[in-house]
Order: sequence, then C-alpha cells, then structure tokens
Amino acid sequence: MRRLGPLVFEPRLVPSRLAVLGVSLAAVLFALLLASAVFYGYGRNPWQAYAQIGRGLFGTWPSFSEVLRRAIPLILCGVGLTLAFRARFWNIGAEGQLLAGAVAATGVALFLPVPEGWRLPLMFLLGFLAGGVWAVIPALLRVKLAVNDVISTLMLNYVMAYIVEWLVHGPWKGPTMRGFAYTDAFPLSARLSYLPGTRVHWLTLVLGIAAALVVTGLLARTRLGYEVRVVGQSPEAARYAGINFTAVFALVMLLSGGLAGLAGVGEVAGIHWRLRSPGHISMGYGYTAIIVAWLARGSPLTAVLTALLFGLIFAAGDYMKTALGLPFQITGVFNGLVLFCLISFDLLMFWRVRLARKEEAWTGSTGSSAR
Amino acid sequence: MDWVNWLVSTVSRALAFGVPLLWGTLGEICAERAGVVNLGVEGMMILGAFTAFAVAQSTGQPGLGLLCAALVGGGAALFHAFLTVTLRANQYVSGLALSMFGLGLAGLLGRGWEGKPLAATLPTLTLPGLARIPVLGPMLFQDQTVLTYAGVLLAVLLWLLLFRTRWGVVIRSVGESPATADALGIRVSLVRYLCVGFGGLLAGVGGGYLSVAYRPAWTEGMSAGMGWIVIALTIFAAWDPLQAIWGAFFFGALYHLSYRLQAYLAPELLKLMPYLFAVVVLAASGFGGARWRRRAPGALGLPYVRGER
Amino acid sequence: MKRIWAVVLAVVALGAVALGATRIKAGFIYVGPIGDYGWTHAHDVGRRIVDEKYDWLETVYVESVPEGEVETYIDLLIRQGCNVIFTTSFGFMDGTLAAAQRYPNVIFAHCSGFKRWANMATYMADFYQVYYLNGLMAGALTKTGKIGYVAAFPIPEVKRHISAFAIGAREVNPRAEVHVRWIYEWYNPAAAKEATEALIAEGCDVFAFTEDSPTVVQVAAEKGLPSFGHYSPMYDFAPDHVVSGQLVHWEKIYEDFLVKVHKGIYTTKNLAHVDYWWLLAQGAVEVGAKPGMVINPKYEAFLKNYVINHPVFGRISVYDLVFIRLNQMADPGITFDPFQGPIYDRKGRLVVPAGMWMSYDALITMEWAAAGIVGPWPGEP
Repeated sequence: MRRLGPLVFEPRLVPSRLAVLGVSLAAVLFALLLASAVFYGYGRNPWQAYAQIGRGLFGTWPSFSEVLRRAIPLILCGVGLTLAFRARFWNIGAEGQLLAGAVAATGVALFLPVPEGWRLPLMFLLGFLAGGVWAVIPALLRVKLAVNDVISTLMLNYVMAYIVEWLVHGPWKGPTMRGFAYTDAFPLSARLSYLPGTRVHWLTLVLGIAAALVVTGLLARTRLGYEVRVVGQSPEAARYAGINFTAVFALVMLLSGGLAGLAGVGEVAGIHWRLRSPGHISMGYGYTAIIVAWLARGSPLTAVLTALLFGLIFAAGDYMKTALGLPFQITGVFNGLVLFCLISFDLLMFWRVRLARKEEAWTGSTGSSAR
Repeated sequence: MDWVNWLVSTVSRALAFGVPLLWGTLGEICAERAGVVNLGVEGMMILGAFTAFAVAQSTGQPGLGLLCAALVGGGAALFHAFLTVTLRANQYVSGLALSMFGLGLAGLLGRGWEGKPLAATLPTLTLPGLARIPVLGPMLFQDQTVLTYAGVLLAVLLWLLLFRTRWGVVIRSVGESPATADALGIRVSLVRYLCVGFGGLLAGVGGGYLSVAYRPAWTEGMSAGMGWIVIALTIFAAWDPLQAIWGAFFFGALYHLSYRLQAYLAPELLKLMPYLFAVVVLAASGFGGARWRRRAPGALGLPYVRGER
Repeated sequence: MKRIWAVVLAVVALGAVALGATRIKAGFIYVGPIGDYGWTHAHDVGRRIVDEKYDWLETVYVESVPEGEVETYIDLLIRQGCNVIFTTSFGFMDGTLAAAQRYPNVIFAHCSGFKRWANMATYMADFYQVYYLNGLMAGALTKTGKIGYVAAFPIPEVKRHISAFAIGAREVNPRAEVHVRWIYEWYNPAAAKEATEALIAEGCDVFAFTEDSPTVVQVAAEKGLPSFGHYSPMYDFAPDHVVSGQLVHWEKIYEDFLVKVHKGIYTTKNLAHVDYWWLLAQGAVEVGAKPGMVINPKYEAFLKNYVINHPVFGRISVYDLVFIRLNQMADPGITFDPFQGPIYDRKGRLVVPAGMWMSYDALITMEWAAAGIVGPWPGEP
C-alpha cells in the first residue's frame, strides 16, 4: 500500500476485467497523445489530422473495408498467439509460420496436380500443416532440450524468410516473370474471391472468426484447454497432475502456428496470387500480432477486436502516407509507441486506487511488497 | 597462390564485417549476464548509425560521431532498463518495441541526410611493420579501422571483468539469482541499469561503425538485420566475450563467402546460417554434453521483484 | 461552307474541352524510399522537375509501397483526386493492370513492365547503350584484365546491361573479362560492399554495378580503383575515381507523357500501344560522372593516350572512340547499336547474325551472356 496525496494505491494479484480494459485503452490513448508530437513536428494540427483520418477511414465502405482486410492476418495470427501465450509459450514466430503457410499454399497452387475444386481447400489444409509443423519445432526444442522459445521462434522467422527468398530466386522462379524474382501467378482456381467492391478475401476472414470461437471453446470446455491453462498458470501443479508437457506444447504450437499458416495462405491466395519476396508478402503481420495478442490478454475473442484496432492502425498508416503526405516511417514509430505505452501501463492493472481514509498514515514506501 | 588469396580476403573481410556484430554482441552479453534480454539491438544500432553520421557530417569529426552514437545507444538502452527493471515490463516485448521505434525514428530523422557522402570518414589503418608480414599482414593489419582492434581488446577486458573481478561476480550473480544477490546486499536494479546501459553504448558504437566507417553514408534501414544476428551470436558465443570474438568473425566470414562462393552455392542458404546456428547450438547444448554446455544466465528475461520466489 | 464551320466548331469545342478538363493531378507510387539515391530517387527528381515546370500540373507521391499493396494506394490516390497514376516497379504490374480495368477514366503508366490496356501505358528509360560506352572506357582502364560488376537481379534488363558493358570492354581490350556477382536485391549497401570486396579479392580493378547506392563507388575508391556511377550522379562520392557512369532523366518521359495527356493526345482510350523505350537519342539517359561531364577530366589524358587498332576506325584513341560511338547513338538517325551482329554469346553460339540489330522484343527478353562474362548466370540458355 502506498499513499500519494489523497489517493491510496493498493496492490492486487488478479486484475479485474475492467482494470484490464481501462488500462489498455488508456495506454493506446496515451500513445496517440505522444504520436501527436510527430504531427506537430510536421507542422500539422494532430486533432485535425486524427479527425481527417477518421473521416477518411470510416467515410465509405470501400475505405473501411481496408481495415477489415488488414485485420485478417492479424486475427488469425493473433488468435494463435493468445493460445500459445495462455500456455506461457512465447511464440514470437508467427511471421515465419505465416510464410511457411504461404510457401505450402504456393506449392499446391502451382505444382500439385489436383482437381480445381480441391485446390483451395488443399491449400488451406497444407498451409495450416506447414505453419503448424514449423511451430512444433520450437515446442519440441523447448520441452526436450530446454531451448528458449523466444529465441528459437525468432530465429526461425529469419530462416523461413531466407527459404522464401531462395525459392523465388531459384527453383520456383516463374518462367513468365522475365527473370524477376516471383513465382508465376496462381491459376484462377487458387484465388480467393472478394466481398464486392473491396479486396476483403472473406473466406479467410470467416476462418479467422471461426478460429477465435473454436479456440475460446477449446480453452473453456476441453481437457486440452484445462491442461493449457494449468501449464500456463502453474507448471508445478501441472507436473504434479501428471500433465504431458510434450503433448500440450506440441498441440498448442501446432494450432498456433497452423493459424498463422492459414493467414499466409490468405495473403498469397487473396492478395498476391503468387509467392514473392517475404518483406512484400507480410507487412510484419506476425510481429504486430504479438501486440494484438498481448492486448487481448489471452482471450481469443478479444484478439479479434484488438486485431481490428491494428488493422485500423495499418489502414490509417496508408492513409497518412497519401492524404497527409507523411513519411512512411511514421507507422513504425507509432507501433513502437503503442507497445511501449502498453507494457509500461501494465503495472497499473495490479493496483487499486481509492481515496485515503483519514487515519491512514503517509508512507513513502512500504519496501517489500511492491516498488 | 590461390589459397593464400582466399585466406587473406576471407579473414580480412570477416574482420571488417564482424566489427559491428562484435560490438553489438559484447553489449548484449553485458546486458544478458545481468539477466536482462534486450531485443532492441537493431533499434539501438540504427539510431547509433544515424547519430554517428549526422554528427560526423556536421562537425567533420567521425570520432565525435561515434561518441554521440554510443550515448544515444546507451540512452535508448536505459529507457529499456527503465521499462523492464523499474516498471518490470516484459523484456521481450519492450525490446521488440525498441527495435520498431528505433527503425522508425532513425528513418524519420534521417530523411534529410540521405544520398550525401560523408566527408570525414573513420580512417583505415595500416599498422607499420606488422602490415609487412607476409600473409598475416594483409590479413590482419591492413584496411581495418581502430574499432576492429578496440573491439577485440574490449572483448578481452570484458571477459576479465566478468570472470576475474569482484564486479564480475556481482554482475553474474544478479543475472543468475537476483534474490541471492539482493540478500547479499547487492543493489540488483542499479547493476542491471548499468549493464543494460553499457550494452547500449556498445551497440550504438557498432551502429556508428556502419555509417562512418564500413560504408560512410546514411541510408534508411542500413543496419539491415544485424541486430538480430547479434541476438543469435550472443547465444552462439555462450554469453562469453572471448567466444564472441571468433563468433562475430565467423559470421562475418560466412557473409563474405556467400559472395565468393556464389557460383557454387545459393547465397540465401549461407545467409540463413547465423540464425540456424543459434537454434542448433542451443539445441546441442540441451543434450548436456560438457563440451557443448551453454547455459543462459539463470534469471535471464525475468524481472526481479523483491519478496517473490 | 456549312461543313467547314462544323469542323471549325468541333475543333474549338474539342480544344475547350481539352483545356477545361486538363488540370492534371498525377500520383506517383514508388517501391523504395525517395532517399535511396538510386531508382526511386531518380524518379522523384523527374517528378519534381516536371511539377515545377507546368502550372496545370500537380503531383503527389507515396514512397516505400509494398508490391502487394499497390492497388490500395491507387485507390487512395484516386480518392484524393488523381487522374494520372505512375507506378514505378515491375512488381506493381498486375496490380496496376487490375486498377486500370477498375478505373477506366483514369490514365495509368507503369514503368518497366509489359502489360498494357486502353488506359495503361508502359515506359522505360534504358541504359544498355550507356553501359556499352562505359565498357569502352573500362576496357582501357583495367590492368589486370578483370572488370568487376556487382549486379542486382538476374533479369533481362540487368543481363542486357552487363552484356553491353562486356561488348564495349572487349571492343577495346579483347582479353578483358567481366566478373559478375549477384546480390539479389535492388538496394543493400552491405551486400554491395561485400560483393565488391569479393571481386577485388579475385583481382578485379575496375567496377560497374546495378545497385541503388554509391557503395561500390566508395569501396573501389578506398582501394584507389576506378568505377562507373549508377543511376544518380556519383561523382561527388569519389571525385578522383568515378570515371563516368549512367545517368537517367525520367523528367523527359514524364514531361512528354503528361504534356500529351494535357493536350488530349493521350486519352483513356488509346494507350494500349503506347510504350516508351527511350534511350540516348531521346535524352532520357546520359553517359557521365555527373550531368554534363561525360568523362571525368582526371581520366581524359589517359584515355586520349590509350590508342587501339580498331577494325572500323583504324588507329584511334579510346577517348575519341567513346565520342564517335556516343554521337552515332545520340543522333536522331541512330547509326550504331552495341548489339550489332555478328555477336556470339560466351558459349560460342551466334546470337545476333552479321549485319543485324536486335529487335526490341529480343532486347527485353534477352537471357544470354556476352563473351567475356565470367560468373554465375541464372537462366542462361
């Protein structure tokens, strides 16, 4: 307990839902406040700029649809990451898992002789498996060989990115691309259809929302969900209860990476219709999804909402670059600021604030309990 | 003597390309030995690269540029320390944020500075006498900047500091078991602040080397993923400054060879090696063979809260 | 009489429509940052020059646009009122075509591609003649007989440039070799540096390149070796070592195109066959270390004293040869082309028969490597 003026701060162990929501909102707002300094730096009134962005994005259905489109890979990756984070598995590798899915989808679309009607389903299936298998590697490494999950998933992102580079420069380079580093375009049967007047590949969006529902159900109602929660909250108890860590982590990562893989399928089958340089396939969706999942605090359904928030930020970035003529680096600065604010506001959730009663003493610090 | 040519060019290029990796890795070792992971190396390096260029271009003093780069890198690292040590924020997320933010900010500030050659670059040295030694001379003592030798010296000093002094015991105990250190009266937060901050200084210099020596000009995103190689190298070197020396130069050699061996091997497959090696090395150490033993500091990545655990 | 009046009226009316409807707002979509000092920088310089010249023209740009996102940005620019859109990367091709079909009332122009539409033209300013001229000088300057070339991607454009360069070098110095390293990126200073160092280690002592930064020039200069600048004026990066180079003037194409749109010559109906392929003769490209400096004065004396026995011109200095060839290609009635048969590729096959020039289609799909080129050559026939 600590007193500051008329207020008393008391620590609490489990933050209330309201506190989580309030603190997260406050963090995002504070980041917006900080970002306005950048607008000032470029000689623009930030409030007018925010208003203009708001009008620009929510003004028409096609412009708003961009928010949805950008949110699609973030929903899939974000839901997958919330699941992994619930098991305290720090999957930083959604970017690589997404690319693995894109690679598998391209393989099916261009090189596998399958009946036309089977092509898209098979792309999603193999994309899921590719992302999942790529994610199971760090899971096994952690359980069997105690390899740090953050590092292994992060490093595997780069390995996969270079594999994609190698594929498009080498064996998969398209004969019709005049030597440029792209695969050939997918046949029509391997392309996703859009919501009319937009570039929203709705099938992937539906998959994303379905995934959120399924993972929510899985966490709440199944044995695996129970085990995930126990492993995440108290590994000691899990060991005591005889939970098979290998199975839990492998399954969790198969799902988590698989969902990221689906996002990759959606991007190549919905947007690009080919495999190309990794930096152009994913705009860092896998990394942004970490923030999405972090904000969602382990709830897959909330992750859908936070993914939409970041879809909004991406779309706003596009809008700022064109309508406001701001340099493109501004999105990076902004994402960094949001992340900084979120993690530094985190601590606030673990405090309850109330008015002090008269008899409570002024204490500078209580030393041990918190600092 | 074809093989001499190969040897000389590979070693000499490995040294030049390895310098930013070495400085960054030494910095990261310093932070991680005290128990703080800083994934913001990429951000600190790019901020350092921009600062060094801007200062060197304005003042004509590349040395001053490097100094300022160090200060900026250190400042960014202290911010990471504030978030992770004082606010006990998640170290991995904070580091990622620092990288995103640093890349964006450096790009934003650097927009007016692109496409200009640096007038005053950090000179390359030809060490008198030593450079004349056949083979060894051109391999080790020509065309390097002072940062190559300073980096090696620093690695040795850091090793001595970590493993042969009382301070080293203090730092390592903070990284291994902060609670024990605390009980012994060590100020855990102070040690962590100092180590993370010092690590940032080194990363800043590593970034500065890129823009005032390695390729004297400023361009957006010029650190090009070196910060992530540094994270890999820190593991590869088993948190040991001496192993970091050959680790950094080994990765430098790989990068150079990816161009010399181009006729025989796809360059992408050589370029992904550092990342793959990091995972393989960690996995190999998991088998527990004494020779492959690489153990992270015990409290790595964990915020310290007095009274817990 | 009546008919004449009708024609006159129609012409006046057309003119009025043309004048009234032609406040042009042109949007430029770039793949890289405008500070890259290469491709994107050069396009942006062209954009600014044209923008300042004409009152009726307003331009806007977006930089660092990911290739898959080009349609999004076209949407945004059109919503802002752009009626002409330029997209400047090969990877934007399919997206630009799709947008051209969705917006039949907007004019599009795509740089470096090969797909056109009623309202979508293509354009390119190509360097192969300039590389040939640089090759003449490089052939004279090399002492080891090994010339280094740091190349971006193994695509026909870059392959064509390297071959033209090698043909020039061999015209002066039949023993010359052009050693090639690919970095598989348009812009990567560190890769360009290490590739240059690798070539230096192999004994190369003159350098040309395709990469969007002055790195190769700087690295070569550190070792005291001459080089040829690429895309932007790189003389200032190494005044003692940049011999010449390739310079581009995108403004020539942008000006021609936009003026024709303004005058109503280009409409949204007639672009399906508009393809700019502009070279020295149209002034879209220039040979030089910086504008107006064909050969760095520091190398003039050397090239004047370097006399060869030329099959066509007899005893001639390389300096004079460069200017003769330059004039032959820069004059409107072009009398010379680097790819003038007979030309054999490095495998000894006759690729251009004697007395023939290569067609435009053959040039833009060219995959073979000229004799004298050493190193990997992905996709070699």
